[in-house]
Amino acid sequence: MLNALLLMKQELAVVAIIFILLILKLGKDRSNVTFLNIVNTLLLLNVVAGFFWNSEGVLFNEMFRTNPLMILEKNILSLGTLIISMQSYSWLKTHKHVPEFYILLLSTLLGMFFMISGGNLLMFYLGLELSTIPLAAVANFDLTKRQSSEAAMKLIISSAFSSGLLLFGMSMLYGTTGTLIFSQLPAALNGSDLQIFAFVLLMAGFAFKISVVPFHLWTADVYEGAPVAVTSYLSVISKGAVLFVFVSVLYTVFKPLAGAWYNMLFLLSLLTIIIGNLFALRQDNFKRFLAFSSIAQVGFILIGISGSSQLGSTSVIYFVLIYIFSNLAAFGVVILVSAITGKESISDYKGFYKTNPVLAWILTIALFSLAGVPPTAGFFGKFFLLMAGAAKANWMLITIAALNMVISFYYYLRVVKAIFMDKNEQPIERVAMPLMPRLALYVCIIGIIATGLVSYVYDYIHSLTAPF
Amino acid sequence: MEASAIIFYAIAAFILGAGVLAVTTRKIFRSAIWLLFSLVGIAAMYFWMQVEFIAAVQIIVYVGGIVVLIIFSIFLTQNSGKEMPKTNWRKILFSTLATLFGFGFSYNLINEYSFTPSTQAFNVPIKEIGRQMLSPTDHGYVLPFEVVSMLLLAAMIGCIVIAMKSPEQKAAEASVTETEVHTTGGTVTIISKPEIVEEV
Repeated sequence: MLNALLLMKQELAVVAIIFILLILKLGKDRSNVTFLNIVNTLLLLNVVAGFFWNSEGVLFNEMFRTNPLMILEKNILSLGTLIISMQSYSWLKTHKHVPEFYILLLSTLLGMFFMISGGNLLMFYLGLELSTIPLAAVANFDLTKRQSSEAAMKLIISSAFSSGLLLFGMSMLYGTTGTLIFSQLPAALNGSDLQIFAFVLLMAGFAFKISVVPFHLWTADVYEGAPVAVTSYLSVISKGAVLFVFVSVLYTVFKPLAGAWYNMLFLLSLLTIIIGNLFALRQDNFKRFLAFSSIAQVGFILIGISGSSQLGSTSVIYFVLIYIFSNLAAFGVVILVSAITGKESISDYKGFYKTNPVLAWILTIALFSLAGVPPTAGFFGKFFLLMAGAAKANWMLITIAALNMVISFYYYLRVVKAIFMDKNEQPIERVAMPLMPRLALYVCIIGIIATGLVSYVYDYIHSLTAPF
Repeated sequence: MEASAIIFYAIAAFILGAGVLAVTTRKIFRSAIWLLFSLVGIAAMYFWMQVEFIAAVQIIVYVGGIVVLIIFSIFLTQNSGKEMPKTNWRKILFSTLATLFGFGFSYNLINEYSFTPSTQAFNVPIKEIGRQMLSPTDHGYVLPFEVVSMLLLAAMIGCIVIAMKSPEQKAAEASVTETEVHTTGGTVTIISKPEIVEEV
């Protein structure tokens, strides 16, 4: 009994926080500041507790399984959620529905945990739904803005459509194999046409969630309309969770179809990188810009996955960790600026360095890391991804990816140029940094630099991943 | 042709016919009713396959719940009685082609795959289904059940937050309505409320 509870410790912790918040909400009125302090303490405890009492095991007839790698993935997500929560302090301080915001956000986190741990297509699907439906409600949290409702509507419709594809694929998979359990599926896959078709549908469902190119149309609009904190959660945490599951599902469950999915990944990654980059070139809204840049980043991750080796899964998890730090640092600055001044376009950031030198440097380091400039971790992340992809000796793919990195330098550095060199009559005024966002931003910056330079991080992840 | 095969094709034709009417009719309310018929047809199909429990669930959830919800939301939107604009022939042509392709493609795939018919009779009492759904032991489904309940809790809270209006908003709306009526001077005008986007 105790052992079973320990195996599910992270899920239980999140459920406990959700219920504590619910009870606090129903109790006497509390000011937003006390509430935010309570929540952030609880989330911090959640992250810390995630590192202790680790064990490995299977529960409920393989519907729930856990091992050190999954625990690490969940810890990464919890840490990211804590950082976002601390960054959105200024925005939430004046918001009317703080407890509800956290209840919904943590429900999605719970869904991601179950999705990562799911050893069964049914649990995987439930986790996926739990991690997207409440997000649509959260995307609507700028309750007075029409754009925010539009974002929520688009998110729920596109996720319903992708769930439809996913379910159709799953039902055909179940029809042809007779099992939903991950550990029994590989033996039952024989590569017949119907199974390949089912797999294509599943792949399309995944591609929707991580916004790979032919399925990316919702991304920019949703990112632009949703509140910035939700946008950063969408682009970092929920994408990261689906990527973790995507790698493990492709590498274990669909290993017999490896030949088929290599070709798909090849095509999808090329399209994703090129189109993501080309659209990012001409964006002026900061959130749209980061949306397209995150699409391009997913393209690089797909190249890493296509390597189908242990290096592949290690580099993907490593890159997601770096991506969380760098993207959250960039978003953190945007959240602060947008909460206080309401400005969200890149041209507003001209002359940003004059008024806010610290924030300008943080944003610059984050953008360098996203672009992959050497001393930052982003360089090592992309380097390992391309290394993993190169194992297949498909030089055309690697060359095009490397060339696209050059293009991405242009648009990331364009922002840096606007911050440091361009003159502006009315620059963004000085933005005060409360303690919590400041701490969160410093954690991100330390993360960006340390994950690249301290080789222990990469080695630790490598020691946990299974050989292909 | 056997009698059961004839019944099967009759039910299938009913489902497809109602489905086609649901997407082609130009009045949105009728479209919802045709959808209702289509879903009842699917329930009939489950009865034909002798899976009574799933048929009952189909009727309770889809016919009783979802279609009623759709009809409610149609009533709440404006212009629900008006005819929708005519679709042009190009859209009709391409959607027909897409449907035919989808049908042909999946029919071909499923037809080629040699399914082995099950030898076991499917005869599970409802009591057993209920017990297994809440059983924590092997092959029990208590974990998904609990996850679904968390999902419903989250969905409910999300809906309440979105739909709830703060006291200030209500007051603002009331004052707007009053002034508008005064300025129009006697003529009754319908003031369009801001649309509320609802999540289901």
